[in-house]
Amino acid sequence: MPLARRSLIKAFAAGTAAAWLARPGWGQNAGPTQASEIDLDKAKAEGRVVLYTSLDTQIVDAINAAFKQKYGIDVQYFRGGSSDVTSKVLAEADAGRPQADMVDASDLAALLLMKERGLLKPFASAAMPAVAKELRDTDATWITDRLTQAVIQFNTKEFGAQPPASWADLGNSAMQGRLVYFSSANGDGAPRIYTLARHLGWDLVKAMAATKPLRVQTPQIITQVLERGERGAGFLQNDNIAWRSKLQGKPTDFVFPGEGVPSEIGACGLLRSSGRPHAAALFYEWWMGSEGQAILVKGGKYSSRLDVAPPEGSTPLAKLKLLTLDYAEYKRDKGKILDQIASIFGGEWGN
Amino acid sequence: MMGRMQAAVGAGASPDAQSMPAAQPAPYLSAQALVLGVAVAVLLVLVGYPLLWLLLGAFGLPQGFGLEHLERAFTRPQNFAALLNTLELALGAGALSILFGVPLAWATARSDMPWRRLVHALVALSYITPPYLTALAYIVLLGPDAGHLNRLLRTLFGFQSGPLNIFSMPGVIFVIGIHVFAFTYFLTYSALKSVDASLEESAQMLGARPWQTTLRINLPLVAPAITGGALLAAIDSMALFGPQAIIGSPAQIVFLPTRIYATIGGYPPRWGEASALSLLLVALTVAGLALQRGYLERRSYITVAGRGVRTSTAVLGAWRWPLLAYCLLLVFFSAAAPVGVLALTAVSHSWTEPLSLANLTLQHFYTALFQDQVSVRGIVNSFKLATAAAILAVLIGAAVAYLDVRSKVRGRRLLDYLAILPLGLPGTVMAVGILLAFIRVPLPIYGSIAILLIAYVARFLPLATRSANATFRQIDPSLEEAGRATGASWWHAVRRILLPLARPGLLVAFLLVFIPAFGELSATILLYTGGTETIAIAIYRLNDLGQLEVVSALAIFTIVVVLALTGLISWLSGPDRSFAAAPPVRG
Repeated sequence: MPLARRSLIKAFAAGTAAAWLARPGWGQNAGPTQASEIDLDKAKAEGRVVLYTSLDTQIVDAINAAFKQKYGIDVQYFRGGSSDVTSKVLAEADAGRPQADMVDASDLAALLLMKERGLLKPFASAAMPAVAKELRDTDATWITDRLTQAVIQFNTKEFGAQPPASWADLGNSAMQGRLVYFSSANGDGAPRIYTLARHLGWDLVKAMAATKPLRVQTPQIITQVLERGERGAGFLQNDNIAWRSKLQGKPTDFVFPGEGVPSEIGACGLLRSSGRPHAAALFYEWWMGSEGQAILVKGGKYSSRLDVAPPEGSTPLAKLKLLTLDYAEYKRDKGKILDQIASIFGGEWGN
Repeated sequence: MMGRMQAAVGAGASPDAQSMPAAQPAPYLSAQALVLGVAVAVLLVLVGYPLLWLLLGAFGLPQGFGLEHLERAFTRPQNFAALLNTLELALGAGALSILFGVPLAWATARSDMPWRRLVHALVALSYITPPYLTALAYIVLLGPDAGHLNRLLRTLFGFQSGPLNIFSMPGVIFVIGIHVFAFTYFLTYSALKSVDASLEESAQMLGARPWQTTLRINLPLVAPAITGGALLAAIDSMALFGPQAIIGSPAQIVFLPTRIYATIGGYPPRWGEASALSLLLVALTVAGLALQRGYLERRSYITVAGRGVRTSTAVLGAWRWPLLAYCLLLVFFSAAAPVGVLALTAVSHSWTEPLSLANLTLQHFYTALFQDQVSVRGIVNSFKLATAAAILAVLIGAAVAYLDVRSKVRGRRLLDYLAILPLGLPGTVMAVGILLAFIRVPLPIYGSIAILLIAYVARFLPLATRSANATFRQIDPSLEEAGRATGASWWHAVRRILLPLARPGLLVAFLLVFIPAFGELSATILLYTGGTETIAIAIYRLNDLGQLEVVSALAIFTIVVVLALTGLISWLSGPDRSFAAAPPVRG
């Protein structure tokens, strides 16, 4: 039956070609390049937004719910550590199967890498004037949405009147077996450890490692370990988690050490491959807009917008000595930096 | 007569067959060829193609070609450390499996110890509980400070801190050991059941004391089973990503599967190094399996009688009680305590608060089953995936088994081998192969739920194939031949005679795939994406966020589903096979 076979082959070829062409990112309208070009009807017709984020789920849920209420558009999200988010975006791009419309990660080096690979789309957000120039891309492919400060969190019952107040205190021999810190197996905790080392020296980091600190998988667990009194003090990357714990009346408190506070830039960008450009841009503007950012602040995060106040009862960023990282350098030397941190702390860093 | 009929059926296109009534024009051979063709193609795509990519990936393909990835895999200190830790874990878990499995097997198989059935059933429970759930339970039980057992020990003996820390190498070995000792237990148990009493009686008539009989007759006879079981336990322990990650990561101990996960989970993903490390893990597994085969083959000389083995029962007297205490202590820590503590945590407001009525709640079940986005999606996805994977695996497995049992097609042995092969491959390794293999195909597989389906079918196909194989062997081919002789087509005979008879066996095959697929973690963790989370992913991620109460609620839900289905298997397979049917659940 040559005819039947031929038609079968044809059908298969057509199906394969259709599947290939139907991949997101092919034959798609590039969509809006600035806020004024967003078409609300098109956004609603696109139906949903897929977000990859490393932000705390409680905050993401709140932002998404408000967005859905206002526009009726669903937000589906994948939440993981910055490395999880980044490796998924990169692997999906390699596969020609991008899923995300928007990406957000608390590791600027990751967004720089995505930009370098041409995955991010320039978009002139209406939020740009409200965000300091050095906190956004000159090509408008990414913009900082939040600044997260590392703090020393401690159990208030543990230290009495003399809680640790400086990073140097964490390297003290009195801290032996009392310290907790975080990094996932992919090395998510590394950027802020490196920031500390870059500004205050590797000896400090080595002294902290010498106290045999407990390593946990996420910053959330640091706080739980401290709340339970399993450890006394923590090198906590996320000030918002410490802020929330204190607010909830748990036996914890936190300090911004005077030597300086490692500050991490969390940034977001739109994916060039998105098949839902209007819905994605609409959500991006919601996320970066004053309403979205206000929800972020309510969750204890510092907004990157100059016109949004810091979280209730928090020290304004202007009063803190922020220690930052040269992310281009970090991206370039990541392998070596991870090797060094792994040699100091041991364990898996994804290096 | 019979022979001739068989020849006619076997040849298919022979004059005899063609002269049969017009009701069955079906060309037997081509129908069979079709089944064979499809089965071969599917197997090659599902199993062969990813394995090929693992090899290619290790040489750096498709980006380039070179030995640097293999070199990195063997020379970087962190990879070397992972290898050593993996070997230490395998040795430790293998040794523990003997220490735990052999006394228990002897007690339940050959002694008059009371509560033998309970002990046996609890060993099965520790085996079917996904090991990453046992690991979670032990964080609650033996967490260095807040763990329930540690608190109890401190209260009883006045320790200042600790005293036990699950986040350590002995901790990992113990948690994995109480899962994999079931291999040694079940193999030793069935070996002891097949030692004929006459051997022991001879020894006793020659004046041997009971303990001498046990040591000098029974032990040597079942030694190959013990060694074989311990080797299986060791091999399985190397593959268990879940407990290795959940206990090992906080303890800063890296194993090959967690190392492979980290090389791909970081950015940019290092495919070549992951492939090379996977090959290393495959090499360890294959070496272990080859050794195990060698030991099990030596076992053949001890199977004294084919049927009607008469076993003797050791009368223990007062010794029953210490033995029972040991057995109960073991199954308490391997099954009752972990499952119990998960149930307790699931209904507590906060697991660290003391147990009281005020601390009881069902809120976490509500959160896990209805509220949490990822968790709810995970439950739905796991049911869908496990059902689809089980259906596909039974279809392919039945085709492969049919060819093996009913036909003389050349190459059917190879097919059978290919279908069994994934049983020895760690989930992490299969996932790396599948990722490499399907990342570039122009079909919407990567980043969709289809890639998980492929992984589950490929991983658990052996279970369906073996089960279908055993089922078909029990059905006399003469029944189908009679159908064919009276005019039924090949497909008609299969559909109306073979399949109805095989239905209970195939249903068991379905469940044998469904159960491990439902809780699969080690391949899923590398393959899932937003929207395709499974129940195991929800558990893993929520645990990362420290929500142990919700995690426990999900864990209990999983265990209930798995237990109910295992009960169904036992019921379907009859009382004799109830434990042989326990599926190899892997994390």
